[in-house]
Amino acid sequence: MRARVLEAAYSCVARWGLAKTTVEDTARCAGVSRATVYRYFPGGRDELIQQVIAWEFTQFFGRLYEEVRDAASLEEVMERGIMLARESLVHHEVFQRVVQTDPDVLLPKITVESSRIRGVIAAFLVPYIRRHGIADGVDEAEAADFLARMVLSYIASPGRWDLTDRTEVRELVRTELLPGIVVGPEPPADEA
Amino acid sequence: MESVEARGPQLAFPRRPWTGSSGAGGSSGSPGSTGQTQRTTIVGAALRCIARHGISKTTVDDVAGEAGVSRATIYRVFPGGKDAVLAAVSDTEMARLFSAIGVEMGEAEDLTEVLVAGIAGSSRFLEEHQAIGYLLAYEPEVVLRRLAFDACDELLAVATGFVAPYLARWMSMEEARRIAEWGVRIVLSYLVDPAPGIRLSDPVAARHVVETFVLPGVRALRVADPDAPIDLTVAFGPRGGPGAGGRGGTSGAAGTPNGEHRPEQRQKGSL
Repeated sequence: MRARVLEAAYSCVARWGLAKTTVEDTARCAGVSRATVYRYFPGGRDELIQQVIAWEFTQFFGRLYEEVRDAASLEEVMERGIMLARESLVHHEVFQRVVQTDPDVLLPKITVESSRIRGVIAAFLVPYIRRHGIADGVDEAEAADFLARMVLSYIASPGRWDLTDRTEVRELVRTELLPGIVVGPEPPADEA
Repeated sequence: MESVEARGPQLAFPRRPWTGSSGAGGSSGSPGSTGQTQRTTIVGAALRCIARHGISKTTVDDVAGEAGVSRATIYRVFPGGKDAVLAAVSDTEMARLFSAIGVEMGEAEDLTEVLVAGIAGSSRFLEEHQAIGYLLAYEPEVVLRRLAFDACDELLAVATGFVAPYLARWMSMEEARRIAEWGVRIVLSYLVDPAPGIRLSDPVAARHVVETFVLPGVRALRVADPDAPIDLTVAFGPRGGPGAGGRGGTSGAAGTPNGEHRPEQRQKGSL
């Protein structure tokens, strides 16, 4: 039921934007009562919207995870992950519209979510870092957190980098993201 | 074109003698103040208002009261009203940040130090900035509008343009731009999404990040392009030697002092 309400809220946001989405719209769209919406989201509209963003974030990175989890190496997971994430973000119609129409509602909430997702990305990267071999004297948790921060930074704002160009992304990963974190070159991928 | 000296004294003269009358009570808005000092007074007052009440609640009247000038004076100096004042505040604070870290980066003796000075200095400025602190806590959207997604790309470009020349003393301008942008990202990441226990305003913490993550990246850059005009022994060791490039702002690769330093080849092993 919670998922049904979230899905309804998401489609409201897609149709009317973030600022105009109300508990009432969501209830109508989900075919439930207002009381039901409040039962799952006692904080009302504000909580509902935060949770919709969290939900979409989770979906987004869930899809990403499915796409990169068969990568053979840390470098590959970074390259494919960054390119895919950037491409998905650029083509995420609802996000692109809402970030124009309701930035004041969206940005603070997305920042809260991105802080949470940073932990998820870091946890996902740890086994890859371990397998590659962490650099001497570097703290694993710290390195994974730093890497996750930088990944989020480049995905959101590529700056001088063209993240649609595999060669550039490889260069970025090799010169800015991984040095200091892992030892020398990637060992041969013996098992996939 | 007159010489600069000839124009200087004129600027200190009230261009419009009557402006003084509206500045009653203001410390800098006293009779005889120029448009420029009034501008400075208003911008300073607006900044204090923002630090106390945020942006949405600050009105032109508040700023006028704080500055000790009339509403009319504010609209004369800033015909665009509140938005124009806010834009001027933002520009002024950006300039103050740049000049604060510019001094320390300019005095730094090696690449590690210049990176630490830039990262710790800008983090300290931002952490101690009362208006930014208020906004991050109560009106985060105002700050995030400048720091998120496409707007951040613009900010990265501006900040990179400022920082890169300081790094170009130790590497090509192209490399300097990359490392500069990276450093700005690091500062912004910890500003917007602080990590418990990590304060980059602490030079020890900043140095740790620089040595653990950034310098290995610079070394990797070198490996990626061994022909680039940089000498690692100079890049990471004390700069030493006279005339090794003064303050930042040199014109890039051509202005780097590598040529002068290469023969010395000292500080080996500092990598």
